[in-house]
Amino acid sequence: MTTHDHDHDHPKIIDEPMPGYYEIMETAVRELLVEKKLISPGEIRRQIEVLDSRTTALGAKVVARAWVDPEFRARLLANGRAACEEFGISFYDDTQLIVLENTDKVHNLIVCTLCSCYPRPVLGLPPDWYKAKPYRARAVKEPRKVLAEFGTEIPDDVEIRVSDSTATVRYLVLPQRPAGTKDFTEEQLAALVTRDAMIGVVKVNLEQGIAV
Amino acid sequence: MSQTEQLLKKLPNDIGGMPADRIERTDHVLEPWEKRCHALADVLDFHKILNTEEKRRGVESLGAEMVGKLTYYERWIAAFAFILFQKQILTPDELARKMAEVEARHLEASTP
Repeated sequence: MTTHDHDHDHPKIIDEPMPGYYEIMETAVRELLVEKKLISPGEIRRQIEVLDSRTTALGAKVVARAWVDPEFRARLLANGRAACEEFGISFYDDTQLIVLENTDKVHNLIVCTLCSCYPRPVLGLPPDWYKAKPYRARAVKEPRKVLAEFGTEIPDDVEIRVSDSTATVRYLVLPQRPAGTKDFTEEQLAALVTRDAMIGVVKVNLEQGIAV
Repeated sequence: MSQTEQLLKKLPNDIGGMPADRIERTDHVLEPWEKRCHALADVLDFHKILNTEEKRRGVESLGAEMVGKLTYYERWIAAFAFILFQKQILTPDELARKMAEVEARHLEASTP
């Protein structure tokens, strides 16, 4: 019996699977815009690098600086974008940043009920749950229950303020510095600050961080 | 309030305050095409071709069924296509031809 005199296609060894419908659409839209000289491939590559360079670590550094430098903290609360830019974080989008300070009396939470607006220049891209219906729908209605689902209990005498982001106004939570960190360096402090603490769904605590 | 009145007052994206499920802490690393899609949105914004609010409205005008069934970046690229048609930057024919071309190219590349 011959093995290869038939003419059907064998399954191929393919490095990359066939792209799906939407990926093909993305490639097609991008290539058409490049052909029309409305955008250039270099711009897309450069922006991917910018997106990759934005992570939670940037926001954590801003928070740690605000904890150790009261003047920086004051500038950050007065104008979040200007203070971050002074700190070396460029804003690639046309957004303002309002930094919300957590205190013994107020706990802040950020959300985007309409879509997925987020302080991307300082935190990178938002997690999926931030963009999904349960968080967007419920954060503004029952924030204490939402926080409890993240394991965060806020005492009844602490006010919870929920800020709803827009296309041009973004928020960042400045969490409270945990007790027992008096001797920490700025770098050790930054290592304690998580993305979720800057969204406001958790507090910063010593157990979560890697310093100590 | 009548049911249709409610539909008008609460467009598909406007879900703040509505009852919803328990929060699952979902996340995933973006696929390369999803990241390209995000970069494309930013670049279109830099060139004042498509801004964030137009993008949001574009997703909303996909309608509740598509908003519910497509993933996040699937909604984005579909919305971009419709917006670019409306702005007469692309035509549906042009996009269909280019998509066929891209697909053919991948098939070609995967043929031994």
